[in-house]
Amino acid sequence: MALKERPKPFLLPEYCKGCGRCLDACAKDCITLSDQINPLTGLVPVALDLANCNACGLCMDACPEPYGLRPAHEGEIQDFELEDPAKLFGVKPSDAPEPVDIPNEVLPLPRTEPLVIKGTYASALGALLAGCRHVYGYPITPSTEGAELMAKFLPKLDGTFIQAVSEVATVNMMYGTAGAGLPTMTFTSSPGFSLMLEGVSYMIGAELPGVFVNVMRGGPGLGNIAPEQADIKLACHGLGHGNTRALVLAPSTPQEMLDLTMLAFELSFKYRNPVILLGDGYLGQMTGKVQLPETMVKPGIPKWAVYGDAMHRKNVITSIFLTESDLEAHNVHLNAKYEAMQVEARAESFLCDDAEVVLIACNTPARTAKGAVQELRHQGIKAGLFRPITLWPFPVEDLKAAIQGAQRLVVVEASAGQLEDELRLALSKAGVREFPEIESVRRMGGVLPQQSEIMTRVLGRKEVLA
Amino acid sequence: MSKASVFYDKFERHSHGEGLKGHATHYCPGCGHGLAHKYLAEAIDELGIQDRTVAVSPVGCSVFLYYYFDVGNTQAAHGRAPVVALGHKFANPESIVVSYQGDGDLASIGLAETVATAQLGAPITVIFINNAIYGMTGGQMAPTTLMGQQSSTSPSGRNEYNGQPLKMAELIAGLDGPVYVERVALYDAKQRIKAKKAIQKAMKLQVEGKGYSFIEVLAECPTHLKMNPEDTEKWVKECMEPVYPLGVKKDLTVDPWFKRNAPCFKGEKILSLAGATSEHPERFCKGFPTHLAAHDISLKLAGSGGDGAQTAAMLIARAAISEGFDATHIPSYGPESRGGTSYADVHVAEEEVLNPGSPDPQVLIAFNAPSLAKFGPTVRKGGYVIYDSSVVSEAPALDPSIKVFPVPFTGIATDLGKAVVKNIVALGALQAATGIFPKDTLLGAIRTALKDKCALIPLNEEAFAWGIKSVEGLDK
Repeated sequence: MALKERPKPFLLPEYCKGCGRCLDACAKDCITLSDQINPLTGLVPVALDLANCNACGLCMDACPEPYGLRPAHEGEIQDFELEDPAKLFGVKPSDAPEPVDIPNEVLPLPRTEPLVIKGTYASALGALLAGCRHVYGYPITPSTEGAELMAKFLPKLDGTFIQAVSEVATVNMMYGTAGAGLPTMTFTSSPGFSLMLEGVSYMIGAELPGVFVNVMRGGPGLGNIAPEQADIKLACHGLGHGNTRALVLAPSTPQEMLDLTMLAFELSFKYRNPVILLGDGYLGQMTGKVQLPETMVKPGIPKWAVYGDAMHRKNVITSIFLTESDLEAHNVHLNAKYEAMQVEARAESFLCDDAEVVLIACNTPARTAKGAVQELRHQGIKAGLFRPITLWPFPVEDLKAAIQGAQRLVVVEASAGQLEDELRLALSKAGVREFPEIESVRRMGGVLPQQSEIMTRVLGRKEVLA
Repeated sequence: MSKASVFYDKFERHSHGEGLKGHATHYCPGCGHGLAHKYLAEAIDELGIQDRTVAVSPVGCSVFLYYYFDVGNTQAAHGRAPVVALGHKFANPESIVVSYQGDGDLASIGLAETVATAQLGAPITVIFINNAIYGMTGGQMAPTTLMGQQSSTSPSGRNEYNGQPLKMAELIAGLDGPVYVERVALYDAKQRIKAKKAIQKAMKLQVEGKGYSFIEVLAECPTHLKMNPEDTEKWVKECMEPVYPLGVKKDLTVDPWFKRNAPCFKGEKILSLAGATSEHPERFCKGFPTHLAAHDISLKLAGSGGDGAQTAAMLIARAAISEGFDATHIPSYGPESRGGTSYADVHVAEEEVLNPGSPDPQVLIAFNAPSLAKFGPTVRKGGYVIYDSSVVSEAPALDPSIKVFPVPFTGIATDLGKAVVKNIVALGALQAATGIFPKDTLLGAIRTALKDKCALIPLNEEAFAWGIKSVEGLDK
């Protein structure tokens, strides 16, 4: 076979920025800096005089522009004239295929006897049954048992558990795996969650699913490792910078730790958005009865993923929208998604139908409040409990129904009023102007409200009224 | 071929591909990024891995890498590209993942991620563009800025108060994880050939599953060095290279090791790991122990770490659930890992435990004097207090309605040859004192918990029986 003649270089001057790297690459001095500014670019391109060119190709290797110096096509050098770049290089940006959704498979699970496990374990099992095989984490009390269980189980399921160098690294490993379209999660606690917020904002911006189990502990700062509910404001209103929202689920039993973790994965893929599961230190450590579901999930791959295969080659995961109008459009899109999430509002109303005193609480304080409701009922007081299961969106329609006959509202919480703030905001946004004065039973610093304190508040006030 | 096919035919993401931007990069004249892009594109092309590649764009001038590369693209937060790359690599071990980063991204804000990922050693490829300056934010000092070099945040030149420039290739090569580390440059044809080969080799090592590789590219930033492109090339050669010597810093010969099976989604496997079983436990209770409480019994077990209060609490909860009741157990520890306080709140409810805390329990099991002193007075009237009389010499005065059972948990356990079974002695005492569940219910829970340590069952059964006997002895 005859040696094919090597092509000489070719250059459209408007794609040359005149860096001059090709000048000293050429041993034949074929290339010089032009003395004319290119009117299209405002830059000074190089000029080629190929009389002495031996087509060594070094100038092309030196050119940093993909469409800069390149091998000439047949006849190109002779017939050069400025052409429409679209026609010159074709209009099709990529031959990558159009991706399609590979759906999840729902597999049956044999019916089993209830387990007796702690909340963090229940959540970890929920994640495994939801199809999560990629867990990243950084040890932090009181959430660590979840990560420990994953570190034990995942290798046996050919899954991945990596203890990251920090919470910052954790959330970004999640960003990668979520970007590949797979379910991923972490267990953390308040200080760790603070560190993850940058990444949460990126995940929301890039529309990535992921489940964050935040077993809240006492703060601010290092605080302590006892239960608190002082991250409600972060989860509902402070997920990093920008216009961010995420569904916030608040379990109150080990069973709900499992059920809501599974739900969190489902919702996180449904909306392409992180979901935050807020527990408290008590709930994470609490052992209780947990019934496993009848089905489990084998995840597929969504069409938007960057899985690293041919089908998903055309995709990009990013939160940059450099042009203002593009970013505004993206925010409008995100807002529409946040609006669509409102249907996910969930709540439990316990004996609220005829309740004159409605207690409002979530997580472990809701259980204490439930005990108080029962005790108050024994004493002939018509008490009920309204328990938001989603804190964002706040289940305001359920709340309105629950407090219809209420003469008193008592918010029971292990924070300085963060749940009450959510309640007030939700009522205000829903246009509810008339509601009883809100009373509170609040403890902080890792102390949970006690049933006796709720009783004192409710009964003490009653005596005053009488 | 007019270009490496790994570049898009048109850069639709660059200002929507309008005008010249559809075919021109956003890089300044003389910038090193374009060449690094080109060599990376050629390596991907030549290795035939375009469909498998995931390129991670960093924050910095190369944030828009995804404008150009027709591969799977993802854009990471500042400094986080290597861990995003790991997230992709573990999601799909067949993917070929490149973390492309500048000096601020890799060597400043992302240093922890950079070092930890390199040490982890999973096969990804990191391309590090070191141009000794922050480009995108406008010419601030980089961790790799040279001593004396002016920047907008070191206006009179980098000095000792800014610290010394960071030599990343040497630092990374000093770690155990990486298999291949090389520093290359772009300032002349010879260096460019070496740079191209190094990037190709780094990619190939990943394709072969051999491990983490790191290529540092000394690159030009004429704009922020305020020089023309030609002088910048000279500056890299004459000023940067002496600080950052070129060459291979590490090149290990290793066998391919990164092989990962597809994850398992067999339900039976998960159930078995969780210890879930379809076998119904045998039930012995005739009904809820209403002689203790109508619907909900509150217990507290208190002692020091190592007394076994938590295990005993767990066994009570399991026993209750095996009988079809609801139960909860909340542990509470002091800050010490060993030997601190260890309290457990347990509830057993006929239907549902409403409040799982036990601030005023009906039953207290105290393993030491401080626990008895602290919680004895909280026990409800008519309740039960069972304590370790081996270690508590004198019980505090309690309400006369409370039934008190001093049982030598420790003494019995020691006589049996294993002090650790004192909590099982306590469970026997609980059974005999309160009749909370039939003996077989608690024994069933004990046997289930020891199903992987069957040899210990007889000892525990004996401890349980002695606990019962001691209480029965007290009755006489």
